[in-house]
Amino acid sequence: MLVSWEWLSQYVYLKNTPDEIANRLSLSGLNHEETKAVDGDVVLDLEVTSNRADCLCHIGIAREIGVLTNQQLCLPEAKIATGGEDITHNWKLNVEAPLACPRYTGRIIRGVKVGPSPAWLVKRLAAIGCKSVNNIVDVTNYVMFELGQPLHAFDLRHVRGNQVVVRMAKEGEQLVAIDHRPYKLDPSMVVIADAQRALALGGIMGGADSEVSTSTVDLLIEAADFAPRVIRSAARALKLHSPSSFRFERRIDARQLDWASRRCCELIVQVAGGTIQNGMLDSASAPLEPPARFLFRCSEIERILGISIPLSEVLRIVPALGCKIVDHGNGTLDVTPPTWRADLTREIDMIEELARIHGYEQIPENVPVPMFASAKRPKDVVLERIRGVMIAAGLDEALTPSVVTQGNDEVLSPWTELPALSTDIALLEGATRLRRSLVPSLLTCRLHNQAQSARDADLFEVAQIYLPSAEGGLPIEQCTLSWVGGSSFSETKGILESILEAVCGVQAWTFGDWASTMLEAGEGAKLQLNGKTFGHIGTFSKAAKKELRLEGNCSFVELSIDGLLPLARIVPTAKWISPYPAVVRDLNLVLDEACRWHQLSEAVRFAGGDLLRDLQYRETYRDAAKDGDGKKRVLFSFSLQSDERTLTSQEADDCVKRIIQACEQGLGGRLIAS
Amino acid sequence: MELNEFVHQLDELEKQAVSELSLIQDATALEEIRIKYLGAKSGQFKNVQKLMGALAAADRPAGGKRFNEVKNAIQAAFDEAQNRVALGATKSSGPLADPTLPGARLRLGHVHPITQTIEHLKEIMGRLGFSVTEGPEVEDPWHNFVALNIPDDHPARDPLDNFYLKTAEKNAGVTRLLRSQTSTVQIRVMESRQPPVRIISLGRVYRPDEADATHFPMFHQMEGLWVDRGVTMAQLKSVLRLFATSYLGGDVNIRFRPSFFPFTEPSVEVDFWWAGRWIEFGGAGMVDPNVLKAVGYDPDVYTGFAFGLGVERLCMRRHEVTDIRDLYRNDIRFLRQF
Repeated sequence: MLVSWEWLSQYVYLKNTPDEIANRLSLSGLNHEETKAVDGDVVLDLEVTSNRADCLCHIGIAREIGVLTNQQLCLPEAKIATGGEDITHNWKLNVEAPLACPRYTGRIIRGVKVGPSPAWLVKRLAAIGCKSVNNIVDVTNYVMFELGQPLHAFDLRHVRGNQVVVRMAKEGEQLVAIDHRPYKLDPSMVVIADAQRALALGGIMGGADSEVSTSTVDLLIEAADFAPRVIRSAARALKLHSPSSFRFERRIDARQLDWASRRCCELIVQVAGGTIQNGMLDSASAPLEPPARFLFRCSEIERILGISIPLSEVLRIVPALGCKIVDHGNGTLDVTPPTWRADLTREIDMIEELARIHGYEQIPENVPVPMFASAKRPKDVVLERIRGVMIAAGLDEALTPSVVTQGNDEVLSPWTELPALSTDIALLEGATRLRRSLVPSLLTCRLHNQAQSARDADLFEVAQIYLPSAEGGLPIEQCTLSWVGGSSFSETKGILESILEAVCGVQAWTFGDWASTMLEAGEGAKLQLNGKTFGHIGTFSKAAKKELRLEGNCSFVELSIDGLLPLARIVPTAKWISPYPAVVRDLNLVLDEACRWHQLSEAVRFAGGDLLRDLQYRETYRDAAKDGDGKKRVLFSFSLQSDERTLTSQEADDCVKRIIQACEQGLGGRLIAS
Repeated sequence: MELNEFVHQLDELEKQAVSELSLIQDATALEEIRIKYLGAKSGQFKNVQKLMGALAAADRPAGGKRFNEVKNAIQAAFDEAQNRVALGATKSSGPLADPTLPGARLRLGHVHPITQTIEHLKEIMGRLGFSVTEGPEVEDPWHNFVALNIPDDHPARDPLDNFYLKTAEKNAGVTRLLRSQTSTVQIRVMESRQPPVRIISLGRVYRPDEADATHFPMFHQMEGLWVDRGVTMAQLKSVLRLFATSYLGGDVNIRFRPSFFPFTEPSVEVDFWWAGRWIEFGGAGMVDPNVLKAVGYDPDVYTGFAFGLGVERLCMRRHEVTDIRDLYRNDIRFLRQF
């Protein structure tokens, strides 16, 4: 909002410099953007928050300055002389859309002489960046910037049928606005019409048909109130924003319509001559009720702000803001707010007023703050550990948008078959799907880096995925860890196992088969415990990589953090460490290809019983010449140890024998003598 | 003797001795050099020292100063050569080692700067007694708007200003959206427990902004909330000052400027006085009585404050990131800087 210093001085005595005033206004709610010198005047640019529509005009700003500097205001009375027949005798006003236009008023001025504006008017408008059009249009603009009430002047010749109709637009109705561009209207928009056609887009812009021109003699002056929501949606839909729509969107003071109308007529007669006809078209049958009063308890000031404000200061500020008060003398007041402050209706609103006028700098910044216990959540502990492992594994953390394209969404959805939720408007180009997996997003990043010749972009992300719920409520938001990298299946699985151990200690995880056309044969698995799936691991197949345009090897993991949390070992506890020596043995077995490590390790553990510690897989190799086709050699080592005593070599040998037997009898294995 | 000449001789001596010492590899040569320059009887150094007596009395302090400098420099070069020779003696033969070759480094990953900022904020707020909470990113209008005192006709609810979800026909009439602020979490926490509540919520929020250097349709917010008996705006200012002092690492002053948010009253913009200027921090205010009522707290018994800030802005300022889009492009050349 641009404010002319000279213009302001018409309403309030400005005893401070523009810089001082700009600073005071900034600290009391009107943020000062800049100050410019324009043609001998000083113009302040002030930012007005959406609740303070009353400050979108010079008188509003003057009121603020008056309160801050303890000055009385001097406001124009807007006295008009009228004559002739009362216009209600032969003019009809019909507001068919009272929700969109709660009040409409119109006055008629006859015999004006349209021409250039006087120099003072041109200068005032020019100072705040408003171009002069002609004396009539300039006055309507002037009064809008003076009082905050948008006004419109129609050329009365073009209002047909002696009738003003305020109605919703018809479907497909066209209007050429005064910017001389055609607009296609719809029934959500309000228009001012005559007996035949729409003349103006209510609250936004007049029409070209009825605009004031040099040949205009008689005027209809509109001062009306339009519903903020209707104006906002119409202005947005038509991409037509005007100073008028800006003010109606923020709500105008409907109780000052008459004042604004009179002020406008007064100035028009002053600059263009003419006679104001008796009477007024008015859709309101009775004056509006004054704003509702509320009770103000002075004790609330200290309870909310933490400081007290002397009663004398309260009794100065509250009336200076335009409120009427009744002082009950017991620390409570009845407050009736001024008509122009639609945002000031409650006790708490009054506290804000007192705080900002008294000054926020009065509130200390070093009062005691009581202590309060707080601790890291288990989830934070878990994520910290996970990040530690990821960093150690050489993976960089990525953050990617939660909403993805349809093509991206369809790459992989390991958790659900239900279709992804989608947004009405795209987050970024084409991205409307709430992602069901982080892997496709990370693949996109890997591809981006690949295009920059960086093939080693191994990236992880921790974020929510959105799994639609079958019942249709809020989706299940699963905190998920994923990573995508160039390492092999076995290396990738190693990182996964390191994470599981860091978070959960030792658990009986199993890796169930997970086959997909996307994956290399045998290189996909579901991480499971007691039949429940906690994550997925896989290596992309050649075909998939070709389709995705991925170069080199590419494996991924997706792990449910929410799933892991109940299993997390937040506080590790010490276990007994046996002081007795361990016996370490290696075994090399020939086994069927189909025999999996999972089976072998189970058999070894079972046979080894309590004495078996630290079973380690070493390697697999094949020697078809010696062992025949379909066989493999698996080398592993383990240690045997007792918590109670040193094992005798007999005990150790017996145990190894049991293990070998179990492998031979249970798995058809054969020991290779070393 | 002129001072100039004396100094010149010293300079020459230093240059020659240091250069010869740098080439020494064995003990015999080292001893020869020692005698040549530092020999007690007729070492060159001794010879120059004798000349000092020929200097005018007024020049002696300056001459003496330079003399000591040269002496120290030659001694240092000698010590270094001696160490080198000693080290060579203990080493077995074979190719010469080069300790200046780069080491075999670990390839470490990097935590995203936004995560680093969030962890930093959590740590500071944790010390101030604020516990971390979180809530869903897909919300209903009650938590995103209504309970936050944002009525039905408020511009903040405009379909073009929010990411509303498409609804399946069977759920017609059920509105869901990606949350536009983390204040939703305040409501969920207050609905589920009684005061005192002292929490922060951190997370992703979504607003349809065209992506440019300073805007992205997805970003992160931190929101703080403290509700109890007797919580005041002076405490809000004091907590923010403690936060700012911890975050910026120096004594910081706080300024409030009036502002407007539907869910707080009074509402303020908060500035920090830091490094000679006011820096915008974020928004704050006292929890509006309508919000307290919406969650079933009695506003005549409890008061509270809330504040919110954009994580990206703090992160970008701290790490000198100039384009917000860099944070979400995940170019490893960018990520590996942090």
